Amino acid sequence: MNRKTSSIRQREEIQGYIFILPWLIGFVVFVLGPLLFSLYGSFTNYNVTSRMDFIGFDNYKRMFTGDPLFWTSLYNTFYYVIFMVPLTTAGSILMAVLLNQRVSGTRVYRTIYYMPSVLSGVAVYMLWMQILSPETGLLNTLLRLIGVEGPAWLFDPAWTKPAIIIMKMWSVGGGMLLYLASMQGIPTQLYESADLDGANAWHKFRYITLPMITPVIFFDLVTSLIGGFQIFQEGYVMSQSGDGGPMNSLLFYNLHMWNKAFEVFDMGYAMAMAWILFVIVMILTALNLKYSKNWVYYEGGDNR
Amino acid sequence: MNDRYYVSRHVQQRRSKIIVSVILLAGSIILLMPLWWMISTSLKSMDEIMQYPPTFYPHEVHWENYIEAWHTAPFTRYTLNTLLICAFSVAGSVLSNSFVGYGFAKIHFRGRETFMSVVLATMIIPGFVTLIPQYVLFSKLGWVNTYLPLIIPPFFGSAFFIFMFRQFYMTIPNELVEAAKIDGANHFYIWFWLMLPMVKPVLATVAIFSFNGAWNDLIGPLLYLNDEMKYTLQIGLQNFRGLVQTQWHYLMAASTLVLLPVLTIFFVFQRYFIEGMNLTAGMKG
Amino acid sequence: MKRFGRPLAILLVLLLSLSMVLAGCSNSEQSEQPAPPADQGQDDGEQAAADTPKEKVKLDFWSFWGSVTRRPIIEKMISDFNGSQDSIEVKYTFVPWGDIWTKNLAAIAAGNPPDAIINDINTVAHRANQKQNTNLTPYLAKESENIQDRFFPQLWEAVLFNGEAYGLPFNTDTRLLFWNKEHFAEVGLDPESPPQSWAELEEYAKKLDKVENGKYTRIGFYPLWGVGADIWMLNSDGKNFIDEDGNVYVNTPEKIQALEWIVNWRNRLGDKTVNAFQAEFGSQQADPFISGKVSMMVQNMNFYTQLRDYGKDVKYGVTLVPEREEGTGHWSWGGGFAVEIPYGAKHPEESYQFIKYLTDVDAQSYWAKWGLDMVANKNAANDPELQSIDVYKVAVEAMDKTLITPTPVFAPDFIGLLNPQIDAAVLGKASVQDALKKAQSDIENLVKSNKK
Repeated sequence: MNRKTSSIRQREEIQGYIFILPWLIGFVVFVLGPLLFSLYGSFTNYNVTSRMDFIGFDNYKRMFTGDPLFWTSLYNTFYYVIFMVPLTTAGSILMAVLLNQRVSGTRVYRTIYYMPSVLSGVAVYMLWMQILSPETGLLNTLLRLIGVEGPAWLFDPAWTKPAIIIMKMWSVGGGMLLYLASMQGIPTQLYESADLDGANAWHKFRYITLPMITPVIFFDLVTSLIGGFQIFQEGYVMSQSGDGGPMNSLLFYNLHMWNKAFEVFDMGYAMAMAWILFVIVMILTALNLKYSKNWVYYEGGDNR
Repeated sequence: MNDRYYVSRHVQQRRSKIIVSVILLAGSIILLMPLWWMISTSLKSMDEIMQYPPTFYPHEVHWENYIEAWHTAPFTRYTLNTLLICAFSVAGSVLSNSFVGYGFAKIHFRGRETFMSVVLATMIIPGFVTLIPQYVLFSKLGWVNTYLPLIIPPFFGSAFFIFMFRQFYMTIPNELVEAAKIDGANHFYIWFWLMLPMVKPVLATVAIFSFNGAWNDLIGPLLYLNDEMKYTLQIGLQNFRGLVQTQWHYLMAASTLVLLPVLTIFFVFQRYFIEGMNLTAGMKG
Repeated sequence: MKRFGRPLAILLVLLLSLSMVLAGCSNSEQSEQPAPPADQGQDDGEQAAADTPKEKVKLDFWSFWGSVTRRPIIEKMISDFNGSQDSIEVKYTFVPWGDIWTKNLAAIAAGNPPDAIINDINTVAHRANQKQNTNLTPYLAKESENIQDRFFPQLWEAVLFNGEAYGLPFNTDTRLLFWNKEHFAEVGLDPESPPQSWAELEEYAKKLDKVENGKYTRIGFYPLWGVGADIWMLNSDGKNFIDEDGNVYVNTPEKIQALEWIVNWRNRLGDKTVNAFQAEFGSQQADPFISGKVSMMVQNMNFYTQLRDYGKDVKYGVTLVPEREEGTGHWSWGGGFAVEIPYGAKHPEESYQFIKYLTDVDAQSYWAKWGLDMVANKNAANDPELQSIDVYKVAVEAMDKTLITPTPVFAPDFIGLLNPQIDAAVLGKASVQDALKKAQSDIENLVKSNKK
């Protein structure tokens, strides 16, 4: 009996390793080397082409004591993440709920709502510059209708980041898709029996839909937190000259890192910045994981 | 009484359906604006584009922009190249990630949580500090100027998709797996014959995401391909951007053409959302 | 499961057939261009050159010129070169703007760079400092002609690192004042005499402003459209922000005056007016000067091609950028590109032959005539045919007082410390004095920490 269970356990273990093997191979072959290299590089004055001398914690010291832009970029990035993550999460859930209704033309609507997240490149940025134009832009025109005089958005250092967040809200189609996919897994019987109990739409959302999609909410939170800290493109393109916008208000962490790595060629410093970012995001993710046990409901979880 | 209840529910449902439709319609109009702007710019002459104030629709329609834009660079060839990369990327992503994700969600083995943390950790490191060492690595393997750096890695899974599959598998009751095991099925069987059909919406989502990722990728192909005949559509689009003057009409015409397949793929694949629902519900009932 | 299998099967079939087609193509391409190991290739070349002329050295040349206007010109220049001799064959590869530098860096790191590349002239020395490009001194020393005499002197200065050249200047540009003659006539100004100094510029601009119902419908001039505040600061005294020795000149009386002048300008027009105009034209499509919303503008000289193509009705003149006060000099600013040999390129001797050709007078005249670009080669720029074009003539004249701002080796990213302070002053969030004082000390610290 005992031997049998242990052999079953063993078979289980082996199968587990076989299942993660593709990832493990890919990790060891393609990722691990460059990762360790960049960790070592962060303790050197590596410049990609001719230098790689060990300099101890110099890069880290310089970051915290001698680089005012490091703090600017860290502040900008935190600002962005704090607002962007909850807003896009709520936005994509709302969108998914709407698109999960059985109304005519759902397939067309889904395609339309998904579209902004695949539109990329200059067209989108040009469009947003027009929408955010202070005098004649669509956004401020709408605000004027309700009696609000909108800010100068991309020209006012205080409003550049909100402008980027609004832009991001527009392309929540990817997140919407995830929620939509997870809503398909909710057994219809649950709703039917709730209908019989006379539950209204809000109750059904609050007590059936929401708990059932918590694993995906959790996924979305973790990945958009990670993605949020890596914001780069937006700051680069929307600031027109790519230098971080008015008063460096769009100088995000990764943009600063990019400049250090590929403009200054201070790759060692950039690698050190990357690892500091890694530590910050890892801590936040770990907290996220820890508290997730209180609110994420896994139908197939281990109840641990 | 029962009757009245149902009638009022019916009316209420219809009313909420109308409200939802109105909201969706209004939203669509806002979301379609960029598309309209792209298409209308693509049909204008450069003279009209430079006009102030800008025109809302092309006053003179120039369909030939599409043909001229397409012939600026070998775009047909670029399309085939891009499709090739996308096909491998989709196949690799769907297969490997659904497989690996299952392992992390439904099998117990030592070090599982640690490995999962490593998966998450690889997502956190910003890509461009590993860009140079990775390039050097692929160069040592002799993969530069081939499609291999773009089509092989997807077969080894990506952290984002593995995590995603894991989360979805976790919503499926364990009793299902246990019951199959009692029937003598191993995990490979369970994964392929039981789980995959149940996560079809997720497979469709990953297919869509990985297709778009490969389709829109600029930096990967640009870095690894040296031969212009091997270039992809996104690199081709860069042809229209000049330092002095961008050729907006051609850029927008080509961008519109490049966007179409993406939307078509999405439109086609989304039917699996509906299917997945019935199956899962049936299984659980 | 069955219904799921069908699309997957279709996908796989598609995938297989595609890869077969493409494998066929790329194989044939690969066999056309075998990439021989470096040294072996050279040996072969030496031996083979004598008996079989077919064994050519193949060079890879990268640039970001891919548009329909630029690409045919550069390709013609290359095919002329390929036809002019039988030992070197250059292949052109377009790599998009911006990303081309990343790709180049990765390729150098992997020991697999192109043989020649067009790169930013301002960073030639900065890259030389990191060993990313090849020192050309040994090749220049063998020449009978003094290659440096080909170029405008400030461009040659820009490609030197420790007194040695690491690239050859290819092209450049300069900023000029464009003015609308019709607007001048309309408000009673002489359409043929543009403003010469800042004071005149302001005086004329006020006359050219048009206000209807309390709203500006036309603006005579605004210094920050077309160029940045830093250009006016350079214009004020003709001095770069940092010299070769690492001395910082940000907080100087002239530069303070320049920034104050801009701030006054902004205060006069008001934030709202400035933002509104700027936003309308931020999309790089409609142009404020062409559409007659702005009467005078400092612009890159090649704005001329846009006027030629999309502003046929605009009657305009071109002149030097006004000077701060009479006698301070009509200082302008330019950028440009150099052609260099990445470090580790396999055939530097042949690459040098090619880049020498690209900067010689024939190739340069061809580039200038078709692209209407300011070329680095003085003789080519002074070609009579080009001099007959008004803008080009003025631009060549402006080259005398055009500053090139090479990235200082001691503080490559100083601009990230300067710009936010300039922004703060322009937006009224800090006084000009405080802002420049802060910038001066921030940059001095950066220089100090890099000099260690």
